[in-house]
Amino acid sequence: MDPIQELRASAREALPELDIFIGWEQGFDPLHATPAFIKDSQDMEGLIWNPLCVQNLAGYLPWLKDKKVGICVKGCDSRSVVQLLQEGLLKRENLTIFGLNCSGVLDLKKIQAQVPDAGNIQEVRFNGEQVEIFTLRETYRLQKQELLPLKCQACMYPNPVLADHTFGQEAQPANPDQGQYFDLEEFEGKSLQERLEYWQYHLERCIRCYACRNACPLCVCRDQCIAQTRNPHWLSEENNIQQNLMYQMIHAQHLAGRCTGCGECERVCPMDIPVLALKRKLSQIVQELFDYEAGLDQNAVPPLLTFQTEEKNMEPRGE
Amino acid sequence: MRIGVFVCHCGSNIADNVEVARAAQTSLLYPDVTFATDMMYTCSEAGQSGIEQAVQEHSLDGVVVAACTPKMHEPTFRRAVERAGLNRYMFEMVNIREHASWISKDKEKNTRKAQELIHMAVEKLRQNSALTPKYFEINKRVLIIGAGIAGIQAALDCAEGGLEVLLLEKESTIGGKMAKLDKTFPTVDCSSCILSPKMVDVSLHPNITLYAYSELEQLSGYVGNYQATIRRKATYVDWDKCTGCGRCMEKCPSKKARDHFNEDLTRTTAINIPFPQAIPKRAKIDANHCLKLLKDKCGICEEVCPTQAIDYNMQDELVTAEVGAVITSTGFDLFDHSKYGEYGGGRYQDVITSMQYERLLNASGPTGGAIQRPSDGKEPKKVVFVQCVGSRDKSVDRPYCSGFCCMYTAKQAILTKDHLPESESFVFYMDIRAPGKQYDEFTRRAIEEYGTRYVRGRVAQIYPYGEGLMVRGVDTLMGCQVEVEADLVVLAVGAECSKEAPALAEKLRISTDQHGFFTESHPKLRPVETNTAGIFLAGACQGPKDIPSSVGQGSAAAAKILALFSKDMLESDPQVAQVNLPRCIGCGKCIRICPFGAIQEVQDRAGQPKAEVIETVCQGCGLCEVTCPQSAIQLNHCTDNQILAEVNALCPPKTEESFE
Amino acid sequence: MPAQDRGELRIIGFLCNWCSYAGADTAGVGRLGQPTDLRIIRLPCTGRMDPLFVLKALINGADGVLVSGCHPNDCHYSEGNFYARRRLEVLKRFLPVLGFDARRFEYTWVSASEAKRWQSVVSDFTEQVHNLGAGPDLARASS
Repeated sequence: MDPIQELRASAREALPELDIFIGWEQGFDPLHATPAFIKDSQDMEGLIWNPLCVQNLAGYLPWLKDKKVGICVKGCDSRSVVQLLQEGLLKRENLTIFGLNCSGVLDLKKIQAQVPDAGNIQEVRFNGEQVEIFTLRETYRLQKQELLPLKCQACMYPNPVLADHTFGQEAQPANPDQGQYFDLEEFEGKSLQERLEYWQYHLERCIRCYACRNACPLCVCRDQCIAQTRNPHWLSEENNIQQNLMYQMIHAQHLAGRCTGCGECERVCPMDIPVLALKRKLSQIVQELFDYEAGLDQNAVPPLLTFQTEEKNMEPRGE
Repeated sequence: MRIGVFVCHCGSNIADNVEVARAAQTSLLYPDVTFATDMMYTCSEAGQSGIEQAVQEHSLDGVVVAACTPKMHEPTFRRAVERAGLNRYMFEMVNIREHASWISKDKEKNTRKAQELIHMAVEKLRQNSALTPKYFEINKRVLIIGAGIAGIQAALDCAEGGLEVLLLEKESTIGGKMAKLDKTFPTVDCSSCILSPKMVDVSLHPNITLYAYSELEQLSGYVGNYQATIRRKATYVDWDKCTGCGRCMEKCPSKKARDHFNEDLTRTTAINIPFPQAIPKRAKIDANHCLKLLKDKCGICEEVCPTQAIDYNMQDELVTAEVGAVITSTGFDLFDHSKYGEYGGGRYQDVITSMQYERLLNASGPTGGAIQRPSDGKEPKKVVFVQCVGSRDKSVDRPYCSGFCCMYTAKQAILTKDHLPESESFVFYMDIRAPGKQYDEFTRRAIEEYGTRYVRGRVAQIYPYGEGLMVRGVDTLMGCQVEVEADLVVLAVGAECSKEAPALAEKLRISTDQHGFFTESHPKLRPVETNTAGIFLAGACQGPKDIPSSVGQGSAAAAKILALFSKDMLESDPQVAQVNLPRCIGCGKCIRICPFGAIQEVQDRAGQPKAEVIETVCQGCGLCEVTCPQSAIQLNHCTDNQILAEVNALCPPKTEESFE
Repeated sequence: MPAQDRGELRIIGFLCNWCSYAGADTAGVGRLGQPTDLRIIRLPCTGRMDPLFVLKALINGADGVLVSGCHPNDCHYSEGNFYARRRLEVLKRFLPVLGFDARRFEYTWVSASEAKRWQSVVSDFTEQVHNLGAGPDLARASS
């Protein structure tokens, strides 16, 4: 059975016990999905599930901590939920998690690169490994594999790690033979000078819209974010490389050991800055040092909130 | 602000390598600096009143002094600034002596360094705010952990000073190591004779509550307000009823219990009193050897006890006590010589430790004061003493000198001659350390009057030879190897930290050095204090030492506490963390990370969880501040803004237009 | 940068008050000569050391940053340096991602009695930074 039918049925069944149900519905055009907040059973008909459901809905949960919420999560989204539970920002008993086994979503920027009149799409159809896009003039048949964003190509957890109900066929990692962080390899190949220039180029373009921060499910500081306050005066809102880089550093450091790699930050950036690489690199470092991945075990303690008197994977420096 | 900058010559200490006048003048360029001068000795009376005067005359509201290290004179200048009418935290100190003029002679670079350091201090001071200490009540009761000679002395001094004392001892009797000794150097007076009166005083003093056979389970709180949880271990004898008559010991059929007091030279009964002068003189049952407790057989002691004091169902009891300060006087352990395989690794019966020998010498010991070989009970004719066993030896991780072994070996050699006039004693030594009063004379007596043969060299091997032992060593002064046929070998084992020391250090939140001895606040000037307010040290737990030094430290710790308690209220350090409530999102990370449990969750008026700092428990480490993503919790006097001000002063960020 | 004009580089040190700052003082008392580049900021504990201070310094143009505290197990506040060790190790491995040479940042542990050690830490680190030359200047736009 089409997983979406099962999902709708299951959601309808659970709805009377819930204050709100969060999933995806069709957006402003066939290429975009949008979050759906459903209270009435009949609205469940509009619920969709396909590789265009890119949004990480877990970001809404901290603001609904004391409400009974039903939430749809992909593999990556479920890790965000686990991470939020680990930090005490959610209550497990208030959540009903509808897990969707996911074989990857589509990177809209890659579609736009291949479909010139992407603003004029009539229909999108999914045919196994193919994606058919119908515009007024033409039909494009694209390979799904080529449209996957980096985060899906490197994904190791396509099936939700925590769920009350699960839908769809169990998915496999897209590239199990590659190293877990192979998406960073191209970057690793650059020299120090090249990296410096790379970030200088990108960060000069950053407009400090804070979309990356606002889309991050783990950024719960909202109005209290230190990037936007004078007290303490960590940085100014001047739009130059120094301040922009400092802002990215604050965001990345605050996510060290917490980021689950959902990739929302990179997806929403209007200037196409590859910010996910910074967090992925930190996740790699945390894994090397502490054998720890975020968002897998709700009872784990984030590695930077604890310590060992003898650190296994660290060479002692001057001890 | 109106900031005054005072740059110190410190005589020639700073002025030789830093152009102090120029450094003072350039500081007038920094924002908010309205007055600057240089002075010969800022810490002198003239210097301090010069600062106070300048504050008055120029209406200054902040002061920067560039001089020696703040660890030396920050409190001095804070008081001066306070006398001038300012809050003492509107003061910053710059180190241009230890960190500049004393480490380089390049005057140009040092001056530039001084200027920049002053600039950093000025920028920090501009972010400072007035802080006011709070005052809190204190509980004038002292907890003393460990009732050896140091603890006993401390307890008596505190009690005589009018304080209530709670004295804990993990063994069933007080007295520590000193109670086991026969005689003490250099006076050769009887250890028990000088110790017992003090032990009795402790038991009788109205201000001292003695909990023997008890250990500290947990300590929480802060100076003046500690809560101690004490485990009173089960003795299986009701000590309120026991009179110490000893009948139980006479009748007990289980005679194989370990006799710790006699250093395992003999066995004792399962129910026992360690020695006749024990305080408290009460029996206790060793649960590992009691037939009733193990197999529910026997029960003879219960039958014969005239006061029905035996209670086989007794359990450990946890009691809580509230105290204001703690002295730890937990002493030391002796080195386990089985690590030295070349000395037999503990296998040879006639190779014994100095403490075991002391028990043999002692008239109330297992042999009634007769020196006998443990193997066959015969009197030894030749006794060989080996010094530095487990001291001054990096290979067994004991590089330090234990300080008393040379002296006690000389004493034991002298006593051996007294007990056995026909015997010969040899001492193998590396150096003779005899620094105290009459100490060197005492060691010379052992050689000159008592005929002890001192051989300068180490012992390479001890092995069985005939009915005795062969001691093979070297005489470095003669330049040859030597072999001595010995009937008995006594190893002068060194001191090491007691086994429970590291765990106790964690409970008390004090530090230990790499050998497990507790760390004092300052090795020269503060030997009995720790860096944790309210916790003091006395005796060998701070480092190996002899009896006079332990007694001295016991009294010193007591004096510190009497001074601490001479006020009715203590001042709390206002350099603690504070939560900016509107910024706090209640995530609880700071609560989890605080090592002292100084942060708790509260609810604001909207019912939202927020963090709150318990100011008296906060130690001011700043971990919470780094953990908080919104920087909602800030450490007073070390806020993010203050540190950022210093960083920005050194490395200014580029701005499009500078509005300064 | 003014520092470079006189042959010095901008090196900032964050020292914990109880061990390393005292160790630096002891080195001064012992008149143990050191290069003059280092500027010290005093913290109560390395647990107070936010990795963002290091990043702030480097981004603003510092050429080298040194952090020093009590040896692990000897922290005056019992645990601060354990957390610092984790945070700063993560930071050290992260710096190359940005294009900063990781050798511009060192963290180490120097106790109050280790004067000679402090002298070599400062001398070695200053030399290390000088060998790397002036740090990247992010104030100007890339070409």
